[in-house]
Amino acid sequence: MSIDLTFIGQIVVFLTLVYLMKKHLFGPLSELMQARAQKIADGLAAADAGLEAKAATEAEIAAQLEDARGKAAEIVASAEKRANEINEEAVNRARSEAEGIVDAAREEVQAELGRARQALRDEVADIAILAAERVVEAELDASRHSKLIDGIVSNGFGNA
Amino acid sequence: MAEQSHDGGIAGHLHYWTLKFDESNPFMQIHLDTMLVTIVVAAGMFGFALWLKGRLVEGTPSGAQNFMESVVGFVEDTVRDNFPVHNPLVAPLAFTIFVFIALVNTIDVLPAFLLGHVAHLFGIEHFRPVPTNDLNLPAAMAISVFVLVLYYEFKLKPVHFCKELLMEPFTNLVPVFLKPIVMPINLILKVIEEIAKPLSLSFRLFGNMFAGEVIFLLIAFLLLSGGPVSMAAGFVVGLGWSMFHLFIGLLQAFIFMILTVVYLSIAHQPVEH
Repeated sequence: MSIDLTFIGQIVVFLTLVYLMKKHLFGPLSELMQARAQKIADGLAAADAGLEAKAATEAEIAAQLEDARGKAAEIVASAEKRANEINEEAVNRARSEAEGIVDAAREEVQAELGRARQALRDEVADIAILAAERVVEAELDASRHSKLIDGIVSNGFGNA
Repeated sequence: MAEQSHDGGIAGHLHYWTLKFDESNPFMQIHLDTMLVTIVVAAGMFGFALWLKGRLVEGTPSGAQNFMESVVGFVEDTVRDNFPVHNPLVAPLAFTIFVFIALVNTIDVLPAFLLGHVAHLFGIEHFRPVPTNDLNLPAAMAISVFVLVLYYEFKLKPVHFCKELLMEPFTNLVPVFLKPIVMPINLILKVIEEIAKPLSLSFRLFGNMFAGEVIFLLIAFLLLSGGPVSMAAGFVVGLGWSMFHLFIGLLQAFIFMILTVVYLSIAHQPVEH
């Protein structure tokens, strides 16, 4: 139990060992562990950021969905309105067409009626002239009295 | 001497394998067993470091890397808890001290005479396997730490440290005219206080391990040399003491490490105004 040259030798061994351990064992391991801790921290931060981004995206999606729903409702409403307009237009057009048809028919009927009335009038005049001829064949000259008879017939049947 | 004449006794096993350069000067000798074992352990640690360095993985560690990472993490936590500032040297120093002392102390668990007998085969008369039983090793480590502490004291707060050497603890307690008189007393007390650090650091480790070895030898001499019952008892007691001593070795390694960190941490403490 004495201090001797071993002491010097031990200092050399100890300091050399400290240097070697720092360089080859503790340093690399410590760096590795720090790098890993950093990596884990980064990963956790990224995961948190991802969750936040997901939440933000979900909120955006919900907002866009709401927006789209509103727009769709608007479109449906405007389409319904347009359909009603078209419907009404069609109904109006049909109504006016129908009225046109009815008017034309009525006019035709009137024309036909006028024509029939004229024909009847002509025929009655002929019959009357014929009857008158037969009654007063000798005295009456068809050509001389036809105007007179036409006037009578026209007045007599005008109110018929 | 009585010890040497009693060659078969315990004292006979407390000699080192010594190489003497100068018979008249007790300093000029070297304990070859201490040097050999420490160099072998240090080389083993270095070899292990190189081996592990080549197969470090960045991902999930396993096996040796996992174990060493837990040791490194433990040392780093200890240093971080005690240290006010970051110093890249302290953690590797504490790690080396802890691992080296723990490994060297663990050699003590080997049966008391095993390595001695192996050495005898090579014609070496005395061989003491545990270098921490040799005051030279704890003293070398303690002095290295002490020099480091002094270096940081002078580097980081030279004025404050010199002032403390002269002014503490009595200067403020005495009248002004007595101050010059108490200064040398302060200096003496402070020097004793500072020298006590490496002394206690080295003797604590040396004493514990030396006592442990002596108890091993006592068990061996008192019990194993008797009859079968005594042999059996000796075996059981020796085994029990081995386990306890293993624990003490680890504990002493931890104490040496933590005190190193604490002394260096004191040197790094910022000056209080």
